[in-house]
Amino acid sequence: MSSGVAVWFPIGVMIVGSAVVVGTMVSINRLLGPRGRDSAVKSEAFECGNPPSGGAWGRFSVRFYLTAILFLLFDVELVFLYPWAVALRDLGMFGFVEALVFIAVLAVGLIYAWRRGALDWT
Amino acid sequence: MIAVIVFWTLAVITVLSAMITAFSRNIVYSAFALLGSFAGVAGIYLLLGADFLFIIQIFIYIGGILVVTIFAVMLTQGVADMNISNRIVGLIPAALIALLAGAVMLEAILRTPWPHPGTAALNPTTHAIGNAFLGPFLLPFEIASVVLLAALIGAIVISRQAARAEA
Amino acid sequence: MNTLNLANLGFAWLPLLPLIAVAVGAAIILLVGVRLEDEDSAGLGILALGVLLVSFVCTLFTIGVNAEAFGGALLTDDYTAFFEIVIQAAAAISVALSLDYAADNGLAGAEYYSLVLFAVLGMMLMAAAGDLIIVFLGLETMSIAVYALAGFVRREARSSEAALKYFLLGAFSTGFLLYGIALIYGATGTVHLDGIRAAIVARAASQPYLELGVGLMVIGFGFKVAAAPFHAWTPDAYEGAPTPITAFMATGVKLAAFASFVRVFMIYLGPAAAQWSGVLWVLAALTMTVGNVVALVQDNIKRMLAYSAIAHAGYALVGMTAAGSAAAVLYYLVAYAFATLGAFAVVIVLERRATAGLRIADYRGLAQTRPGLAAAMTLFMLSLTGVPPLAGFVGKLYVFAAAVDSGHVPLVVIAVINSAISAYYYIGVIVAMYMQEGTPEIEPSGASPGVLIGVAIAALAVVLIGIAPTPYMNAARDAFAAAAGPPAQATAFAR
Repeated sequence: MSSGVAVWFPIGVMIVGSAVVVGTMVSINRLLGPRGRDSAVKSEAFECGNPPSGGAWGRFSVRFYLTAILFLLFDVELVFLYPWAVALRDLGMFGFVEALVFIAVLAVGLIYAWRRGALDWT
Repeated sequence: MIAVIVFWTLAVITVLSAMITAFSRNIVYSAFALLGSFAGVAGIYLLLGADFLFIIQIFIYIGGILVVTIFAVMLTQGVADMNISNRIVGLIPAALIALLAGAVMLEAILRTPWPHPGTAALNPTTHAIGNAFLGPFLLPFEIASVVLLAALIGAIVISRQAARAEA
Repeated sequence: MNTLNLANLGFAWLPLLPLIAVAVGAAIILLVGVRLEDEDSAGLGILALGVLLVSFVCTLFTIGVNAEAFGGALLTDDYTAFFEIVIQAAAAISVALSLDYAADNGLAGAEYYSLVLFAVLGMMLMAAAGDLIIVFLGLETMSIAVYALAGFVRREARSSEAALKYFLLGAFSTGFLLYGIALIYGATGTVHLDGIRAAIVARAASQPYLELGVGLMVIGFGFKVAAAPFHAWTPDAYEGAPTPITAFMATGVKLAAFASFVRVFMIYLGPAAAQWSGVLWVLAALTMTVGNVVALVQDNIKRMLAYSAIAHAGYALVGMTAAGSAAAVLYYLVAYAFATLGAFAVVIVLERRATAGLRIADYRGLAQTRPGLAAAMTLFMLSLTGVPPLAGFVGKLYVFAAAVDSGHVPLVVIAVINSAISAYYYIGVIVAMYMQEGTPEIEPSGASPGVLIGVAIAALAVVLIGIAPTPYMNAARDAFAAAAGPPAQATAFAR
């Protein structure tokens, strides 16, 4: 085993471990559960709120799209702010101020979106 | 050895998922199959010691772009009646273009004298990238915020219209 | 760890000032304008003109400064200043054309004018870019803003269609450019244009990747300057976009794309010219021919001007195949920009809601109803054709002479034949205005002062730059010499 891979050994253990746990749970259910008793009553939601109406694949409102796009834009911020946060100690005051400029530009966007009502649902 | 096995596992997951995305008859399955593609690529980044790219791949591609893609699919009119199958049109020209592009890339890969850096040791890159962003690449860092702001305005301009039309 | 010398920061402000002025102005317009009604947007347009003026004054201070900032990411030389001024002028005229158009059509001023200014910021970055990351980010800032602007007229399906086509093909082309940049980075180990040139000269670049990268970058830029065969988006996008934005796309976007294209290819990829000048030769011939031939059969004036814009990209590419003739290209672009801005300004006067007033037939009899406007339109059409003594003629003369000097005689023959073809459709507009009877229902109403000022400035520029070309040509030569000269010794912080 090369040293490069050895570093990732704990992750490998986690992946294998989680696969085993999930696999066990699913197969135990199969193994121990009663079979051959499918009926309409069994497949109904049992004490889980209202009976479902319509399919799960109904069309979403287009308003979700704006929300999703806004989420994505602020998500992409992370690409820039995450390494900045990691290196913040080295960068000192200068780095802090520069990141403030970055955030200020995006804050302008947030204020604008707010005023424009993009965050309102109706 | 283990690295090779892991690599091939990830490569197979990536390519198989990509094939489902391309060939599935149902566009919803296509969208969800992207998950395997993105995750497989993330795993390959990790295998190569590119920890920052790995995190970004998870955060942005799986956590952001995939979510928005699924939103976009579910927003499509008539997604429920399942007729938006991914009809395979223009298979032959597409195959030709793909073959041509593949051949060009293969040729470039074969003709390039690749350096062999040896085994990659764990060497976190995020800290160095942070230093680079706030150092030599400060201007791109700041402009990126402007690009995001312009995209935000554009998204609101375009979708206000759509929301009004629906209302 | 980087030690950042704050004392040097003061130096870096100067090249940044025109950019900062535009960015801050855009943010102010956005935040102020979002409180206003859409109909009150003219004031925001005046504010945008003020921002462009401040930026222009800042640019004036950078003339003669040959420096770089951010470790070479931003080059402040006369080349940058030249393009910044032309871009500011094109943007200012586009804003002037928008003043009443935006208010009449109920376009939201906050978004409209701030997006115009963000696009200007991206364009100026493209002109100043000293590394490929800035080229890409400038292009993205510009493109995203212009995509949204193209789809700004909410009630019209044509506008949304324009935005969609422009966005899809534009995003695709940006992908090509980015892939090309990545491969060039892989081949040379740097994104700095200086370093890339050094690697090519030292033959340290990995050849297959360099060739592939350069080819992909040609495709990416080819899309943005609307060169055939990457021009398919142009007519639909130009037709559907609000007309002031069409003028902005045909001039500002094209100027900025050529600013980057010329700097990256003619100066920094110059040592590898053998690998791309043949491709540009073919692109130039194809672009001119496709643009002019298809323009012949257009009956919508915006589509005709779109194909004209494609054809003129072809003439500029003729100049790019001639090594060391970038000055002619710069001059040509300025001449083209003013004539095109003027032509679109006239289009705005005659335009009515929906598609009325946009047919070339609607220009019949304009000489009787609006003689001044008809005379200006004649000037713009003649300049685009290349009739002496107007700017378009001198530009073509410089470009073709440079191409002949470099031995591209067949290409110049193709270009001259194309100019002859173009005369047919440009002069067709003049014939309609002067020699045909008007249709009464398209009686042009009073034009807004902003549009008339735009027409006047463009007409003046087309004549002045044509009659006295020397100062403008000298400015273009100085600009190119500054960009091609030895790398600036003055270096700013954060290397």
